[in-house]
Amino acid sequence: MTAPEDLSIGDIRPSGALTSQGAIPNTRRSQKEATRNRVIDAARELFDSQGYQGTTIREIARKAGVSVGSVFTTFASKGEILSQVMEDRLDGLYAELDQLVPNLRGSTADRLRSIFAIHFSFEARRTRLFLAHIAAAYDWTLPPSARPMGTNPKLIGCIRDCVIKGVAEGDVDPRLDPQEAVDLLIAAYVWIYRMAALNGADAAAMTDVMDRQIGLIATGLQPR
Amino acid sequence: MMHIAQIQAADDTPARAPTRRALAKQQTRTKVLAAARRLFSEQGYEGATIRDIATAAGMSTGAVFANFTDKSDLFREIMLTDMIALGEAMKEAADQGSSAEDGLLRLFVAGYRFYQTQLPLARAAFSVGWSPEDGPELRNSAPVQTLIDLITGQLERGARSGELKADDKVALRTQMLFDAYLANYDQAIFQGWTLEALAERSREQIAILLAGVRGS
Repeated sequence: MTAPEDLSIGDIRPSGALTSQGAIPNTRRSQKEATRNRVIDAARELFDSQGYQGTTIREIARKAGVSVGSVFTTFASKGEILSQVMEDRLDGLYAELDQLVPNLRGSTADRLRSIFAIHFSFEARRTRLFLAHIAAAYDWTLPPSARPMGTNPKLIGCIRDCVIKGVAEGDVDPRLDPQEAVDLLIAAYVWIYRMAALNGADAAAMTDVMDRQIGLIATGLQPR
Repeated sequence: MMHIAQIQAADDTPARAPTRRALAKQQTRTKVLAAARRLFSEQGYEGATIRDIATAAGMSTGAVFANFTDKSDLFREIMLTDMIALGEAMKEAADQGSSAEDGLLRLFVAGYRFYQTQLPLARAAFSVGWSPEDGPELRNSAPVQTLIDLITGQLERGARSGELKADDKVALRTQMLFDAYLANYDQAIFQGWTLEALAERSREQIAILLAGVRGS
């Protein structure tokens, strides 16, 4: 179980750990935590530079300075590592969104534009990581616990709420299934990352194209 | 098809030996492609190795590499062949539409019908399509551009007939229609949606995306 490289983080081991029965699990836990963080950091860099298919578990382990075996004691698969990378990053984004969304004003299109602009300003520097995240959704080996791009319940819930609020405020047709709007918006949002990865668009350019796409969709959502 | 045409043309010439070699090479390619198609469908793009494909085709990995530079080359060939056939099916379907809006719907459904029996391959194609290296190449390839042009063609048809108003966003609308078309494959692949459900969803999406230019 204990890979040789785990000894390099022996400095965090409490003194007497090996003689105190209760301390051993704690030490293992903190070692596991340290390994996990190193794997996540290494994987984030590799997925961002080489894509999802181009990155192997072996490379992640080498960059993290841990054994392949110890990667697998923490993560079931490459897809799960990527999901965790994204989840760690998105925690910050959604904390920000939770504060902002209730205060958004204006038309449904305006509110949607703000929500997506927040995403782009947060993620513009990591567009290739997003592409990796999308590609991973189609990986055969992806476990059910992994969360592919565009299926993030926070994002979907946030957009859905925004559309439903539009029904209440009169600029979204009540006969429309809100899910139609959500799916179109997510498809547009996801496409932006491909564009950005291709031509190096910054957050402002991504937001500009998304604003136009939202405008087009919002026209179609209006009561007929 | 191009290869076959070349071989037939070569058949009329007196030089028979190169023709036989060319024919044998073509047969090898066909066998490798058939095996690769099956394995990509069964194991996905990631899961299928050149070694597996060679074994399934009953030949050495060397013989595979003599015909294809790598796995992505092999997959690209399968995809592009399919995209050409898909483009033809979509064009035929769209032409039968009673209007631009109906043509778009028929075009979408022709695509879903085409992949209905080979969804695992579609899934592998999406996996490759989103990779930073192979994705742009696939999306910018001539057969995929043909699919995109078919969508623009329907928008132009609608503008000509007066069904749609003059549109200063044809490129944006085309791209959004294409992305909506692609995004629906997720429902087919992961949630087992039927053709009817996909058609119904497409109809509503097309209506939303055309709302800004629909005539009164």
